[in-house]
Amino acid sequence: MSKKTLIIDPITRISGLLEVQVHIENHTITEATCGGMQLRGFEQMLQGRPPLDAIYLTVRTCGICSLNHALTSTLALEDAYQVIPSPNGRLIRNICLGLEMLQNHLRHLCQFVYPDYVNFEGLSPVAKSNPSLCDFRLPSHINLFLVKDYFTALTLSRNAHTALAAFTGKAPHAHGVFVGGITTTPTIVAYEQAQSIIKEILDFATSSLVPNLYTLGDYYPEYYTLGKTQGAFLSYGLYDQPSDPILYGPRGTFINHHLAPLDIHLITESFSYSWFNAPDEPLPLESMPPVPNRQKQGAYSWVSAPRYLGLSLEGGPLARMTMSGLYNHGFATMDRLITRGLEIQKLCECLLAFLEQVTLEDFYNSDWVVSENAQGIGLTEACRGPLAHFIQIEKNTIKNYSLLPPSTWNLSPKDNQSQPGPCESALLNTPIQNIDHPVEIGRIVRSFDPCLNCAAHITSPYKKDFIIQVI
Amino acid sequence: MSFSPCPMFYIQTPRKSSSKINCIWLETSGCFGEVISFLNGEHPGPVDFLQDMCHVVYFGSLMGDEGEAAYTHILEVLKQNEPLLFIVDGAIPLKDQGLYTVVVNYQNKPITALELVKQIAPHADYIIAAGTCACFGGPTAARPNISDGKPLSEILSSTIIHIPGCPSHPIWILGTIGYILQYGIPKLDNLGRPLIFFDQKIHEHCPRRSYFDQKIFAKNFGDPECLFQLGCRGPVTATLCPLIRWNQSNNWPIGANTTCIGCANRGFPDQMEPFYSL
Repeated sequence: MSKKTLIIDPITRISGLLEVQVHIENHTITEATCGGMQLRGFEQMLQGRPPLDAIYLTVRTCGICSLNHALTSTLALEDAYQVIPSPNGRLIRNICLGLEMLQNHLRHLCQFVYPDYVNFEGLSPVAKSNPSLCDFRLPSHINLFLVKDYFTALTLSRNAHTALAAFTGKAPHAHGVFVGGITTTPTIVAYEQAQSIIKEILDFATSSLVPNLYTLGDYYPEYYTLGKTQGAFLSYGLYDQPSDPILYGPRGTFINHHLAPLDIHLITESFSYSWFNAPDEPLPLESMPPVPNRQKQGAYSWVSAPRYLGLSLEGGPLARMTMSGLYNHGFATMDRLITRGLEIQKLCECLLAFLEQVTLEDFYNSDWVVSENAQGIGLTEACRGPLAHFIQIEKNTIKNYSLLPPSTWNLSPKDNQSQPGPCESALLNTPIQNIDHPVEIGRIVRSFDPCLNCAAHITSPYKKDFIIQVI
Repeated sequence: MSFSPCPMFYIQTPRKSSSKINCIWLETSGCFGEVISFLNGEHPGPVDFLQDMCHVVYFGSLMGDEGEAAYTHILEVLKQNEPLLFIVDGAIPLKDQGLYTVVVNYQNKPITALELVKQIAPHADYIIAAGTCACFGGPTAARPNISDGKPLSEILSSTIIHIPGCPSHPIWILGTIGYILQYGIPKLDNLGRPLIFFDQKIHEHCPRRSYFDQKIFAKNFGDPECLFQLGCRGPVTATLCPLIRWNQSNNWPIGANTTCIGCANRGFPDQMEPFYSL
């Protein structure tokens, strides 16, 4: 009986710093932990600052999905100040959200995931230094198609940010997405540029990326099983408003193959295995913030363990595609990759339809006033799953601000019941062919598109009965 | 089964790695935005950087290898007595001996950003701090700075080339690297910033300058006039934003009818707030 503990740190080709530890017995993973290795403490940083500055500060939690934070923070402030954004501005903001996701998905699939399956020999440092041990299976002529995708994606992801910056001044870390709509006055050049770039990405996804992902699945068929979770999902809804021209991902949960409405009060956070001093019982979201303690015995992550009805839920393209009924193949590694590709196509269709709806009216509604005391919540779907911001304003300053980003769900550690997070549970029972070169682990972990820059966070006290409209 | 290397038409005129400078790009405590901004570079862009400008041995976000195999590249390059370019993005936390940012686990021992930076820097011929966090602490070190994040210059005594910006513009980063390769370290100002990119204030080139001179000011975001009275930091921020714009879009923060928030300045964000003066 062979036993071994492996530590992979850094998991390269993700956002942020992640350590994965696995116990392997008889070539099978019997225990897995995912540890977030960085804490900045953004929520404490936000306390005491001007409320409107939250938009510019929270974008800086994450460089690859910063627009998602800009929009979510704006929605939280609009909720707090009871501002109705300009309809035209809302359209452009939805387009901006989609452009950021296109940028993210292209980079994730081609820059981060492909080097696990595609031989990039000759391109340092993308190439593996030991390709013969990396389980590369693609025949050279097919390998070539995916190498080509890598370079095309570099260009098209940059172009997605070009289209985004035309609306937001720059990317990452946008300007212009603001309480009341979008402050930019989009030019017809920006409009047509966005249309052209979106069509180009759609064409690439349809003619190359998505077919190549299915081909990858043909050569790596066991990855339709490896990395499987229970398929318990959470989504805050993406393009699900009745006014949206194409309805996509519904808001809610998907547990035991059953779609149910969202109730934000059912979310708790466990800190049992996180480097924080907190009670062992999971805390409701409005609890007092725990205190960091890097020396805490038994803990292994800066990330907390959010749970819904006590369950560990997964978010991201697989969740959204499954919940919208557009994909029903499975819940494993290859399903996550393929749905990310399919979502690129879906997002392009949605964005082109939003562009059609843009009128020549104003994009920004400046007719609003701040409230001295207020609180609000913003819920959106970010690239890798559900993203929530909560703000509490007292005497015109931020009393508390709390972020609950998607990788906190996907990469969460175990909770007080020792229930693993989604990525951890995906790793369990995985057979490892070569213990000295366990290629399976990185492939499974990366399918979640981990982002550890914003996953680690400190919850802040927040006391409000959130009223969430479920449509 | 045989595997072909990348075809020649993708790997354009590959130089022998020995003729290119070795490079380590280390991500510490930040937001990943520096990497995304670097990937947004066009001419030159990431392909030029990887293929022609440098022999990149370590770059967490892009490298094929992972875990100890990835870190081994650092150990190997430090043994060689060859020129080394060391790029750091992110601040360096000191709290709890640096354990608020662990970059590597090697032989069951966590290696912090603090240790790694101190390990690599003595071997580097050129050190670049990319982004405001690495240069001045930035958002990572904003008050109350619970991780006790520090700029690179407070960790190292070496000469550090500062390329601030949140994120820094790909032209500033790649342009500085190109300058180093061709001519050596560019002339730096008293904050360690290359004068080629950080010599002129935004205000000097702002297309809304005529509004400022005539004292015509915007009342809200979204207005077309000078944003000074809403808290624009253009007069105190030395970047080329008004001239080179962002993301090949011809747009930039003031073009979005919002204030410059001084993201490339020392003291950002704490001393640049409020970003929107009501």
